[in-house]
Amino acid sequence: MAEDFNTDSMLDMYLFENGQLLEQLQETVLEQKDADSFDEDSINEIFRTMHTIKGSSGIMMFDNITAVSHKLEDVFFYLRESHPDHVPHVELVEHVLEVEDFISSEMEKIRGGDTPDGDATDLIKNLDAFLNKIKNGGGEAGKTVPEPVHEEPKHFYIAPVASSASRFYKIFVHFFPGTEMSNVHAYKIVYALKEIAEDILYSPEDILTDEKCADIILKDGFRVLLQAQCTEEDVRELIGVGYDIEKVDVYECDADQFLLGFDFGDDQPLKVIDLESSVEEIEAKQEEGDKEENGEAKAKEPEKPKLSPGDFVIQSKEPGKQKKLAKDKPKTEKASFISVNVAKMDQLMDLIGELVISESVVLQSSDLKVPGLNLDNFNKAAAQLSSISRDLQNVIMSMRMVPLTNTFQKMNRIVFDVSRKLGKDIEFVMVGESTEVDKNIIEHISDPLMHLVRNAVDHGIETNEERKESNKTEKGKVTLSARTEAGKVWISVEDNGKGLDREKIMAKARKQGLLDDSKPESAYTDKEVYQFITLPGFSTNEQVTEYSGRGVGMDVVVQNIQAIGGTLEIESTPGLGSTMSLKIPLTLAIIDGIVMETGTSSFVMETGVIKKFIRVKQDMMINEPNGDEYVMIRGECYPVIRLGKWYGLTDYQESVEDGVMLILEVEDRKICLLVDKLVGEQEIVVKPIPSYIKKVKGLSGCTQLGDGSIALILDAPGLVE
Amino acid sequence: MSEMDSMGIYTDGSDTQEGKYMTFRSGQEYFGLEIRYVQQILRYQAVTMIPETEDYIKGLINLRGRIIPVVDVGVRFKQGQCEYNDKTCILVINVKSTTVGLVVEQIAEVVEISKEDILPPPSLGRGDRAHNKYVYGIGKVGNTVKLLIDPEKLLYDEDPAEAEREKKNEEE
Repeated sequence: MAEDFNTDSMLDMYLFENGQLLEQLQETVLEQKDADSFDEDSINEIFRTMHTIKGSSGIMMFDNITAVSHKLEDVFFYLRESHPDHVPHVELVEHVLEVEDFISSEMEKIRGGDTPDGDATDLIKNLDAFLNKIKNGGGEAGKTVPEPVHEEPKHFYIAPVASSASRFYKIFVHFFPGTEMSNVHAYKIVYALKEIAEDILYSPEDILTDEKCADIILKDGFRVLLQAQCTEEDVRELIGVGYDIEKVDVYECDADQFLLGFDFGDDQPLKVIDLESSVEEIEAKQEEGDKEENGEAKAKEPEKPKLSPGDFVIQSKEPGKQKKLAKDKPKTEKASFISVNVAKMDQLMDLIGELVISESVVLQSSDLKVPGLNLDNFNKAAAQLSSISRDLQNVIMSMRMVPLTNTFQKMNRIVFDVSRKLGKDIEFVMVGESTEVDKNIIEHISDPLMHLVRNAVDHGIETNEERKESNKTEKGKVTLSARTEAGKVWISVEDNGKGLDREKIMAKARKQGLLDDSKPESAYTDKEVYQFITLPGFSTNEQVTEYSGRGVGMDVVVQNIQAIGGTLEIESTPGLGSTMSLKIPLTLAIIDGIVMETGTSSFVMETGVIKKFIRVKQDMMINEPNGDEYVMIRGECYPVIRLGKWYGLTDYQESVEDGVMLILEVEDRKICLLVDKLVGEQEIVVKPIPSYIKKVKGLSGCTQLGDGSIALILDAPGLVE
Repeated sequence: MSEMDSMGIYTDGSDTQEGKYMTFRSGQEYFGLEIRYVQQILRYQAVTMIPETEDYIKGLINLRGRIIPVVDVGVRFKQGQCEYNDKTCILVINVKSTTVGLVVEQIAEVVEISKEDILPPPSLGRGDRAHNKYVYGIGKVGNTVKLLIDPEKLLYDEDPAEAEREKKNEEE
């Protein structure tokens, strides 16, 4: 279409903006899913969201998305205007979510470079049926509904910032007859003029969403009212005379004339709209033929502080004065965000890491160690530098931290869907969803969490009948909570269902031959028993449901969690429910580590897993004939790994008495690791080992040390295995 | 960022890179590598070894904040490990967004080889594949020849011997 538009970036913008809108929509809907009906704000919000999506999808020519959002917009338009009673709320929620799903999946296709070809007819049919239903159901209460809003005249809104230097123009643009998509060309003009415009108004108004107006533009020309601080030439230049434009007429006029609107033979005079009334009022006014009094609109105004910019023209009544815009009104506290490419963040992070290292190279330079130097000023400046670079590091770290809110919201949706399908009455509670976690970690926990939540709803909570039988009066409840504790994030999924059935798990374990014959069954602790369910192919659910029971799941959960250095803990009380807790690191990017040396290589081990450093004597060692070694420390026997031997290094200390033993504890298993010497503890910026190198057992990454050399990060769970 | 800086020297016009080859010596032979792969040349520096990897992977180096693996071309070509001296260089190359350093005995020069001067490698029909499979052509430059190597194969091709050994391991 228009050659000036970069469709790629338009598409990105489209996907990004609508993605956010949909996310917000889902949040709003789920927030109120348990209420009796949506409140007015939400109805307006959903309406506006659908309106925006419809508009932008129309521009991008994604017809099915346009059609679906249009339908839902109609439904909400009716809700908003007629306030019908007896709206089946849950059904409505489902419809909204269906539409949201549909649009999301279509957008996913677009993102993948495919054409959005999903069939929306059923969805639209359902929505139509629903709309008819509520229309009839609320017939007595409902007022006559005016035409759906998309046919109402709409204007694009540009904030008027008028000053005395402003000049007013009336512009006529005539396109050559037969110009294709003259509405898009017209939009190009508006787009160009927006750059200079203090106020702009044009007719026909619906150039982007209504293709019919292309004909009108061809027939009657495209008319623009412009308020700007520029000369006629500037305007002409901006509009340009392309191959498609036959004639451009620009007339300068004064403010009064400007306000009168298109008084050039216009049979449909533009309505002058009070700037301070909100969008809803403006629309309402337009619908009711501008009968409503301004005062009324003003009186209502505080109730509806939200304004969606970009949808409507609000013509200023006194263009000469600085107007207070609806935009300036106190908004609901929403932080402003920009989205940044993660790759850029990583690059920044790398650079800051480099900066910190070169800083230490400079500050510890051997040149400074020359005796007799007076370094007072240098040291002062150095301290300043250090504090700045430390701040920098903290800022970049905090930039990577993202609240869990979105992830938790997703779970809300899952609980809603699954519980409705299974016919269970379940309440979903979120606690601490604003806990912040490194973005990379969030990506990794989303799937495991989904499994756990599904499990809780499907296996954990009993059916309504079962609950009645076991005299449980309260509703089924799934609690998803997050908290930070000692540098770790705990995320737990708690249900008040039947709890894990120890007998069943044991029976299944016996069947699969997982039990140790020499150990009596009663000797298994609950914890050990529950661990069985994390093994591959283990599911006690006799019936495979759509959601769980296939025996994949818990093992995948555990794998995913272990991959990011986390653990899963299972607690359960029969009859009262179970709790699955994930303990995950706050960030993958920086860990506290102990630096040590073996042979000529440096290694780093996460501080958390090291329980003790100890020097041992040769006589504490126990050698097995097969080469395994053990060490007795205070009556306890630990298996020993000699790091040098394990990795086939050279020049490492042969004798245990020259080295240092580290006692490591991973998930209740303890081992001793023998290294040559300890260097110190420091914060380590974790970097992945380049993917070109195959995974080495026991190594989880690498890092740069203060002198620029590279140390390998040891992965304790890998060593223990 | 580092790519941009160093590539900037070469990417001012893609045409100028056409037909240009970075040549280096490994063992007795001279090899050529299309210049568009070459990111930069470093003097040999200490490499952090990684345990339990293939013998030709020497380890890791720190390239301005990025940690990249280093491959010894001599070992990869079964010419044996050369002695590292002040002529030894690390040729940093970028193949399909993987950055790898190549340890080469000596950097020679950048030469231009036109398409007509590139011949397919002679097939000897003897079990010489281990050596030849990285070489996709032989470039004539004056009286000398350069073995033109395919960096992708150089990095990713399984050693036949290695692959067999691995297969055995898996079977066990």
